[in-house]
Amino acid sequence: MTRRHTAEETKQAMHLIVGEMYDRIVKGEPPTMTLPVRTKNNIGFDKKLGVYKYGKKQSIRDATSLGSAKQLLRALHVVEFIEEMLVAGKSSTLREMYYISEAWGLGKFGSQNESNNLAEDLEIVTKCLREDFKLRPEEDGARMIGNLTLRERNRRGEWMRINARDDVGDSGYGVPYNVEAEKIELLENDIDFIMAIETGGMFDRLIENGFDEEYRCGLLHLKGQPARSTRRIMKRMSEEWDLPVVVFLDGDPWSFRIFASIAYGAIKTAHISEYLATPSATYLGITADDIVAYDLPNDDLSKKDIEALNAELSDPRFADGWWQEQINMMLELGKKAEQQSLAKYGLDFVTETYLPEKLAELGLA
Amino acid sequence: MTGIAQKLASNQKQVAISEFFEKNKHFLGFDSLARSLITAVKEAVDNALDACEEARILPTIRVVIEKIDTKKDIIKLVVEDNGPGIPQKSIEKVFGQLLFGSRFHAIRQSRGQQGIGITGVVMYCQLTTGRTTHVRSKISGEPTAAVVDIGLDTRKNKATKSNQGREIWYNEDGSAKEHGTEVTAQMKAKYQKGRQSVWQYLRMTSIVNPHAEITFTDPDGEVHHWPRVTERLPTKVEGIKPHPHGIELGQLQRMTSESTDSRLTVFLRMNFSGVSARASKELCVAAEIDEKTKPKSMNPDQIRALLEAFQGERHVNGKPVKLLNPPTNCLSPIEEMLIKKGLSKTIDSRFISTLTRAPAVTQGNPYQVEVGLIFGGNMAADKPVEVLRFANRVPLMYQQGGCLLTKAIESVDWRQYGLDQPGAKGVPKGPAAILVHLASTNVQFTSEAKEALADNGEVIEEARKAMLEMGRGLRKHLEKKKKMAKTKEKFELINDILPAIAEKSAHILGRPVPDLAGSITKIMSAVISETSTTWNKETKQTDVMITLFNYTSRVRAYTILATWPEKAGAEMINNETGGRKEATGVWAWKLPSLEPGERTVITYNLSGLERGDWTETDVFFRGSQDVIGASKMDEKFLEEIRRQERALSDTGNADSTPEEPAEPMGEPTVAPPSGQTTLFGGDV
Repeated sequence: MTRRHTAEETKQAMHLIVGEMYDRIVKGEPPTMTLPVRTKNNIGFDKKLGVYKYGKKQSIRDATSLGSAKQLLRALHVVEFIEEMLVAGKSSTLREMYYISEAWGLGKFGSQNESNNLAEDLEIVTKCLREDFKLRPEEDGARMIGNLTLRERNRRGEWMRINARDDVGDSGYGVPYNVEAEKIELLENDIDFIMAIETGGMFDRLIENGFDEEYRCGLLHLKGQPARSTRRIMKRMSEEWDLPVVVFLDGDPWSFRIFASIAYGAIKTAHISEYLATPSATYLGITADDIVAYDLPNDDLSKKDIEALNAELSDPRFADGWWQEQINMMLELGKKAEQQSLAKYGLDFVTETYLPEKLAELGLA
Repeated sequence: MTGIAQKLASNQKQVAISEFFEKNKHFLGFDSLARSLITAVKEAVDNALDACEEARILPTIRVVIEKIDTKKDIIKLVVEDNGPGIPQKSIEKVFGQLLFGSRFHAIRQSRGQQGIGITGVVMYCQLTTGRTTHVRSKISGEPTAAVVDIGLDTRKNKATKSNQGREIWYNEDGSAKEHGTEVTAQMKAKYQKGRQSVWQYLRMTSIVNPHAEITFTDPDGEVHHWPRVTERLPTKVEGIKPHPHGIELGQLQRMTSESTDSRLTVFLRMNFSGVSARASKELCVAAEIDEKTKPKSMNPDQIRALLEAFQGERHVNGKPVKLLNPPTNCLSPIEEMLIKKGLSKTIDSRFISTLTRAPAVTQGNPYQVEVGLIFGGNMAADKPVEVLRFANRVPLMYQQGGCLLTKAIESVDWRQYGLDQPGAKGVPKGPAAILVHLASTNVQFTSEAKEALADNGEVIEEARKAMLEMGRGLRKHLEKKKKMAKTKEKFELINDILPAIAEKSAHILGRPVPDLAGSITKIMSAVISETSTTWNKETKQTDVMITLFNYTSRVRAYTILATWPEKAGAEMINNETGGRKEATGVWAWKLPSLEPGERTVITYNLSGLERGDWTETDVFFRGSQDVIGASKMDEKFLEEIRRQERALSDTGNADSTPEEPAEPMGEPTVAPPSGQTTLFGGDV
């Protein structure tokens, strides 16, 4: 597992990047920054860790174009900014850093996406985590409901014991952005598995139908592509409590990607896959065959959908036979379906028929 | 156009005007209420422009349209000019005589070739509202203006006049009007907006008449103003005699029957252009007619044989009779610089390219094609480009699809020049407008409506060539824009970003700031040129500066070439680098070797131009290594310039060389068959 770094270690790691730029200028060459290629062509399965990691392909960002040169300058500003925070014992959100960059003149960010990407670049090159950099996301954490108990350290530094069924309202327990041991401790549970759900509508449907109690599970709302903290807490629960994780998503190419990022590691964060991914997670539905088997209301695949499916066919994370079959089947059908299309057969169909049948296949119901 | 004129003249004598008008209103331009108004404006404005041009006056034209009765669609139109004015006794002639065209004795390029004339407007007003048309006209020197109401006696087919008198004509500011004409008419008509509107007609007119000042007050009281952008009047054109290649049987018949010449050879020499003494004899031989034959006594078979000899179907010694080309100095192109001004005052844009081709001849008629392309600015990027068609400076607003000029545009694959054109078919899309102007002594229309030019392979090809050249200009401009942006980025990189990287990294590591020279050469690794073309308010000159940087590690040598508006009469001064003329409008400097890291600067000023005349200098290079910011000299481009130079000097139209026309002009003995058939049989 990626380990945390002290302030001094973090600083040294960052100085290696700065040193590369400086030394190149001294040699009379354009300054550069070397980092792994961050595409599906450069991720490979790490047998030891059980997740997908970046491979050996490197790309060199050199200052021969204005865009790259500005990236290098921004990286220097970010390094300087992080050093200041390390010294002052402060932290900042990525969004705050984006606004702070307003004062960096030529090195200011054009969009927040740029600053987020650069923070990731630095993580990758230094092998530090953004927590080491004192940078926080403002990504929206997940909601959880179920008979599980954890301890969270609140703003006053006191530990609060929370049961995610009895101590919360209908919206469930909100997962904070930091779910590391210093913030959250997993205490005990009385459930058989964890179910991650893509849409809020379905999450609320299962709660209203009392699914979590009837089937003894913890429900987790992913809110689309899950945030780092969502993936991280899933992994912790799965490992520390030894619980199976099933993933219930829409039946479309984008849901396949969400699952891949949960189970195998996301391409963007492949440098910390072993820290975020839950290799034991299972894709429950909606599968391509569900669309046919349950005769679900569906939509035609768009041009973008088809492009995405074709890209997935050559994505190493979907290389196994079951996935190839599912993707090809969806391409053949030319159709996709939403989770909530199950409502065609009534509001209870999902909890009384669909999920029990699917879980039975996995031996969970 | 002669066909219809004759048909009308011979057939219409017994028909009442109203009936005639009703029957033929579609090609008289009065077929819809909206078009009637445009036609009325067009006739009045064309008259005003023609009169001013003839009198060498810079035209100032005021057009006012008011809605008098919205329910009955009654509209009042006022058109006022500052022309020479019309003598009192001629007013009824001008306004009451239905002529096809206003020219009598020669074939020449004129606006009046199109349309029925202002009399048609008088008639239309009378027929639709029963009202007469009020005319006020003043000649310079006379203390008062003549006023008269003109109508038409539909029973006698004659003009009527009433309320004749004289009055003092005051301008709006209270001063006395020097000279000019004002027409006030009331008619049944509809005012519309958009592509086919009075506004569009005036806007287009203003583009091709940059010497005119036009003000238009629309029915909502909004005032549209198109200012004068040049003091230069169009060149006065010479009339020419018809050329045998462009003559039809009916015309020839009429010409022979009216001839008083005693010999056929004399008739041929005196009444046609391009016929030498030798050719006149050869034509007689080819047609197997005795050269002493009296033209008037020729029988139809002989006339037909003569026509066949004209057209090269009958030979002498196995070859068609060789005829000279007609002179082409009878054309009055608008000219590149003025089209540019006309376009830029009307349409906001980033790029304008205009081109006037050398005159050419088709079927015995001299013609000349001019094109203009305007790109960028706030024109819509996703719609077809605006097509602005003109024949002899008159806007063509209808039947765009069937027009030769549109077909020429469509024949070009605009995709290679940076415009969108799905399937390389049709009018291209993009933020652009394309102008095409055909100047000719004989404009051929597809129909009597005179809104679309008839197909003619030679003319299409000429127009197409012009488009291609203009398209290349656009592509070059777009490429240059891209390159300039790239160059600008490179400079920002080495001047701003790189020093910042050096400083910041040194600061973070606590080390000294490193020297940048090596990195800069590696990053740029190119020769870069920067060009600025700016108007100097103080000196009233256009200052041009071309800078060349060598950011490579080797010594470089180049010849730099630049375009300049030589044809528009500019003068290149303070050019200390010297160089030499490469072709018309292209100057070349052979530069000494540039060491790595060195720069050299060429500066000069252009005098004799106005602000906005010259805003972009194209820079080319000859040399092995690419220069960012300049294009490699396309030798084909130079060749085309030289070809046009030759074509111009061949036609005797070359700048400032007043050569004799191809043949001496004598007074024709027969009125040429064009533009003088009156509808009601003679003067009113």
